[in-house]
Amino acid sequence: MSILFQISWRNIWRHPARSGILMGAIIVGTWGGILVAGWGNGLIEQRVDYLISTELSHGQVHHPEYRAEREPWMTIPDAESILAYLEGDERVQSVSPRTLSEGMARSPVTTSGVRIHGVHPEKERATTALYDRLEKGDWLGDEFRNPVLIGGQLADKLRLEIGNRLVLQFQDIDNEITAGAFHISGIFRSASSDYDERNVFVKSDDLSALIAGETFYHEIAMSLTSSDQADGVIADVNERFPDVHAQTWHELSPEIRYIAAYSGTLTYFLMAIIMMALAFGILNTMLMAIFERMRELGMLLSIGMNRIRVFAMIMLESLMLTFSGALAGILLSVLTLWYLGDRGIDMGMFADGLAEFGFDTITYPFVTAGEFFGIVIIVIFAALIAAVYPAIKAFRLNPVEASKE
Amino acid sequence: MSIIRTENLSKIYNPETVPVHALRDVSITIDEGEFTSIVGPSGSGKTTLLNMLGGLDKPTSGNAFINGTNITEMSDSTLIDFRLHNIGFVFQHYNLVPVFTARENVSFIMLLQKKSRKVMAERADKLLDEVGLGDRKDARPKEMSGGQQQRVAVARALASEPRFILADEPTANLDSASAMNLLDIMEQMNRNNGVTFIFSTHDQRVIDRARRVITMMDGAVDSDEYHNREKAATGGGGQ
Repeated sequence: MSILFQISWRNIWRHPARSGILMGAIIVGTWGGILVAGWGNGLIEQRVDYLISTELSHGQVHHPEYRAEREPWMTIPDAESILAYLEGDERVQSVSPRTLSEGMARSPVTTSGVRIHGVHPEKERATTALYDRLEKGDWLGDEFRNPVLIGGQLADKLRLEIGNRLVLQFQDIDNEITAGAFHISGIFRSASSDYDERNVFVKSDDLSALIAGETFYHEIAMSLTSSDQADGVIADVNERFPDVHAQTWHELSPEIRYIAAYSGTLTYFLMAIIMMALAFGILNTMLMAIFERMRELGMLLSIGMNRIRVFAMIMLESLMLTFSGALAGILLSVLTLWYLGDRGIDMGMFADGLAEFGFDTITYPFVTAGEFFGIVIIVIFAALIAAVYPAIKAFRLNPVEASKE
Repeated sequence: MSIIRTENLSKIYNPETVPVHALRDVSITIDEGEFTSIVGPSGSGKTTLLNMLGGLDKPTSGNAFINGTNITEMSDSTLIDFRLHNIGFVFQHYNLVPVFTARENVSFIMLLQKKSRKVMAERADKLLDEVGLGDRKDARPKEMSGGQQQRVAVARALASEPRFILADEPTANLDSASAMNLLDIMEQMNRNNGVTFIFSTHDQRVIDRARRVITMMDGAVDSDEYHNREKAATGGGGQ
């Protein structure tokens, strides 16, 4: 068998330029495919991380009907007990109680529909990454009366700056329209321009006072030590407090769960397309090689090389050609991913476009070990497809006819 | 002692469309140690007969026996194995493996026969010395002349220790000096080692050296003559 490997390897290099070009195409194809797939994985992970850290957190607690109806009176019963319970759970890193309201933000220029988040400043800062995304001004502090944080997109739309007054209008607990004047203490810019236009943050006490005259909460968000703990913590809350409805981040946003779950599919799909295209190139090269060596193959069959060995020799040529190129491509991609996974791919020049879709500008590409294994399977499959037909063609050669070519 | 025997060997190509009678009831016997030429004009059936004797093609009717074994009844895979151990081939276009050196080309057939590396190396070197290529053992085909390549092909054919060697137009692509040199080598192998050679040729230089000449015409044996016995016996080479 070793001699077949030796012959096959030498046969590959009969035409160094032709085999070199094909091997180059396999290297570039594999490298490029893995890199793009890794970038896709990085984008998805970044999006999921962003949503968990900034918008959803690992889990939330609501009145059982709040998410469907969003009525102001659907507050969390016995919120203090739940907060105390969660703060005592070592799986929970931090909790942030919120008062929520749908309303309108008005400036002298225009109005815009917003969701108003009334938050406890310190607890919100510990639970989400909103503080890290402050672009201008300060967090919800004491510098202004009724401070409010607004997104950069909304600030642009309403033409407001730090210190300007903003009127927020919303329903109170009796479904009456009420309003309050707030002062812009800070402007944040998240990864999503849409989020920045539709969300404002005020102090919970300020908002509660306007809605009902007392502090109450519609939502408790929690940050856990690990997202793997989410199912357990949420199940425990639901069991212990039957009057509320707790949900994990993937229950709150199922589409993100599916995107995260199927991120590997992108890798396989991309690699399958690239390898199938390359398989046709390999097939073409091997067929050319067989037609060129017809007389030689006829001679080998004539002198007594059996058909299985001829078949194996041609199969080995295709497989060695493909595997050498793919292996080099995979190694190159591992090195590239190692480099870019640490430094990230900066797409700053497309920041506006990326923000439209809710993506940050820096992405850290990665491909999991499982995905690499899947890629190897795809490479083997493509190599076999490319190898079988030329090998069968050689297997079926008539030595007399072949020797005449 | 006869090594090859054919009985009413016939071959018809395209039997159902435009039948071409390539061989018609050919019955011949070839003895061990013969130096035989099968001659005739193009289309006379000499290459077809050679293919039948080598088990490369199946007759439409008739039988071919090698050492008493009817090869026309063998399966394709059995025939390949039979050829490996019993028949040596020399082709008009040399048909060496270009990625192999002369030594590797000669050794390869012994590798297929699963001989040990030591035996392969010794025999390949000995044969290459005998065909006068002792100093070209590591040369690849493209580094050798046509005559040298054909001598490697002869060494390759001999490497498997076959019962006979079939050579299809072995001198057709060689200049006079190379052709004569090759014929000298083959004649010497025949005379000294008793190797049986059967040529298909229309090269007069080969015909002049042969001790038996079978002339084919329209797929049938036209004449079968023994000559040059004296020349062979005295070791003279026709020039």
